[in-house]
Amino acid sequence: MTEAALLHSPLHDRHVALGAKMADFGGWEMPIEYPGGGVVAEHTAVREKVGIFDVSHLGKARVSGPGAAAYVNSSLTNDLAKIGPGQAQYTLCCNEAGGVVDDLIQYVRSDDDVFLIPNAANTATVVELLKANAPEGITVENLHDQYGVIAVQGSLSDEVLAELGLPVDHDYMSFVETTWEGLPVIVCRTGYTGERGYELVPAWDATPTLWDALVEKVRERGGMPCGLGARDTLRTEMGYPLHGNDLSPTITPVMADAAWAVGWNKDAFWGKEALTQERAAKSTRLMRGLVVTGRGIPRSHCEVMDAGGAVVGEVTSGTFSPTRKQGIALALLDRSVALGDEVVIDVRGREVPAQVVKPPFVEVGVREA
Amino acid sequence: MSEPDYPQDLRYTAEHEWVRSGDDGTVRIGITHFAQEALGDVVYVSLPAVGDTVAAGDANGEVESTKSVSDLYAPLDGEVTAVNETLDATPELVNSDPYGEGWMYELRPSDAAAVDALLDVAAYRDTLG
Repeated sequence: MTEAALLHSPLHDRHVALGAKMADFGGWEMPIEYPGGGVVAEHTAVREKVGIFDVSHLGKARVSGPGAAAYVNSSLTNDLAKIGPGQAQYTLCCNEAGGVVDDLIQYVRSDDDVFLIPNAANTATVVELLKANAPEGITVENLHDQYGVIAVQGSLSDEVLAELGLPVDHDYMSFVETTWEGLPVIVCRTGYTGERGYELVPAWDATPTLWDALVEKVRERGGMPCGLGARDTLRTEMGYPLHGNDLSPTITPVMADAAWAVGWNKDAFWGKEALTQERAAKSTRLMRGLVVTGRGIPRSHCEVMDAGGAVVGEVTSGTFSPTRKQGIALALLDRSVALGDEVVIDVRGREVPAQVVKPPFVEVGVREA
Repeated sequence: MSEPDYPQDLRYTAEHEWVRSGDDGTVRIGITHFAQEALGDVVYVSLPAVGDTVAAGDANGEVESTKSVSDLYAPLDGEVTAVNETLDATPELVNSDPYGEGWMYELRPSDAAAVDALLDVAAYRDTLG
């Protein structure tokens, strides 16, 4: 990392006033947890009630012009033919070798207008790649500091939004463009926690007032502001990948169990040739879940051994599951390892037994009514 | 969140551990308010075994939160005489009561006078800046 000053979200002052513990997330100084909460309480609030997150560090970009959606579709992996205007989709930006430059959400406004939410640290790279390959007439804009992003997640999130007069109950992975107190805001039925919830995208300067109003309604329901520490335990429990850990320029969608986010039948997308070959070869390691059956917490880069002591893989993300109250991990494992197998994780020299499972580690609630 | 609290009657180390002298020649060891606050929610504690001989400065255990892990370092030479087994099931005691129910283990120092060479509360507070 460089010594460059960390960037600040439009809600930075709010986090400082709340006394949040802050840390560097992709070059942005963001809250890990808040006093009065803590990762476990914040995690539990989302699973049982509702929590609110500042995720304004996430990138925002726009591809516009005649045929913008077709251009994005010929570049990123997922198949935009499966969705229409008003819908969103998880997709991947791959390199020619099939490695993942970034995972992102694409929001189709029209055939000529696609909004993208990449990861904070990868936004500039994704924008540069889309710019460099764009045909005549297509404009690619980096709008990182034009919008904030607030996630309201949990079963009570509908009540929170409805009280502010915001639209709710649209389909999972769809969005509505509306106004709140005269200011435009995009309300997306998305999130990265596994719970029913919404991500709101207001203009940068409108983000603090919207945050204040939402926080009040969240607190009235026993919920609380949640930091990115809880977001990480929540996403790990769902088996959702984190770019830089479970997806990377050397971890492909075939390896990461993300082949579902690839439109294999499309004419073209970046990395198609390499990924098609890799998929057919069936030789790479595969992403699996590990549930610790002994005591200990696996962490990324811990080696995984089979019963005979041979190294069969490596942990890519590991944490303590606040819901299950045990260690869980995502790991890239040799294909010889089967679901249900008992393995051993080397946690800083200590042998921690674990079982191979298919994530998620807890029930998914995103589509619940 | 509790207010920073560093009891006067304890000794401290630069590794954010506290040491309390008992009546029977043993000392009790735990981590400070600062350490538990920096770690966040403690979810797992790995302690030395009763009977282990430790040397001052040795890493002899681990305290883990959801996000990070810290080593425990023996503050003194000695032999482990007891460990707090309740932390197996309730590691959150390290956060809620770091100087009481959240203690880690007890040691019989090979040199009883070595305790006095550890930091007093004023010197420990100085390390926190």
